[in-house]
Amino acid sequence: MGLDPNSRARFNLKDATVLLLDATPLGMTILVQIVTGLGAKNLHRCADVESARQAVEANQIDLAIVDSLPPDGEGYDFVSWMRREAGEPNCYTPIIMTTSHTPRSQISRSRDCGANIIIKKPFPPITMLERIIWSSKEDRKFLFSDTYVGPDRRFRNIGPPKGVKGRRREDITATPLPQAGAEAQDASAES
Amino acid sequence: MSTARFTVPKQRLAQLLRTPGGPPAAEALAAARDNLAVLKPQCIGELKDLLEAAEKTYSRLGGYEEAGLAELYEAAVRGVGLGDLCGAGSVDVALHSLCDLLDHLQTQAIYDAEAVGVHLRAWRLLISTELPAEGAQKVLDGLNRVSAKFGVPKSEEA
Repeated sequence: MGLDPNSRARFNLKDATVLLLDATPLGMTILVQIVTGLGAKNLHRCADVESARQAVEANQIDLAIVDSLPPDGEGYDFVSWMRREAGEPNCYTPIIMTTSHTPRSQISRSRDCGANIIIKKPFPPITMLERIIWSSKEDRKFLFSDTYVGPDRRFRNIGPPKGVKGRRREDITATPLPQAGAEAQDASAES
Repeated sequence: MSTARFTVPKQRLAQLLRTPGGPPAAEALAAARDNLAVLKPQCIGELKDLLEAAEKTYSRLGGYEEAGLAELYEAAVRGVGLGDLCGAGSVDVALHSLCDLLDHLQTQAIYDAEAVGVHLRAWRLLISTELPAEGAQKVLDGLNRVSAKFGVPKSEEA
């Protein structure tokens, strides 16, 4: 992602509609200070999931920055709702999740909710800008399945894990030939 | 067998970001940093308030109590990220360690007053004094040893 902090490249967030969800007043203030500094003007500031849902139902959201909302992690449920229930175009909206700490019991929930990326607090403005740019990239496939709806979580096609049959059509081509199997899989594991 | 469907959606955000008229990244980042700098007093105040709330809860806990540990966790997790904004990044590390510990204690339904107490004392020490970096690191090393003693798993870095 690495953005040069002295970069003269220009990014325009002025006309982007940005949804912010954070339950704590200071957490919200921090988010607002960062995104307005980066140039965003149209903000929906939501302190709870219900107001965030209303904002999504009434507006086209270009970017959502959603806190996990500890300790219950309602933020994950909100992202999941947005992916599954919000309808087009908001179901495709880039979503950046922020988290202070993820309890071990919620790790799979955070992985499966459908956010584009999760960033851990504290994060400097450059991290947020890098993630905004990265999340907006249009070449990332979007997956609808029974158990997951969201951006494709596979970033490299190195085939299925050893001993596991691939679940996708392209996995079949990634499966090595029987005789060369062990070597090919070792090579892919190292790549 | 589950079915899956792929699509490659058009992102309006990508088009908006490319629209002419945006500030250079360096200027936008400087503006965001300036915006955050004014929050320093608020962050220090919030960290102190949260610490006081945590100490109050701690002082009444005599053993394992689910609600009490949840209160402590909530105070700690709300503080994560504020230390960095007031120039005391080591507070965030200590709070993260405390969150890991409390998560572990809650999961195992156990309590250890000394392990929690040493984290709260570290929290107070790291925000109330101008410790040199080596001193802060020693405090954090101590917290790591306490957590290791209890077999607290380290959460993943995001």
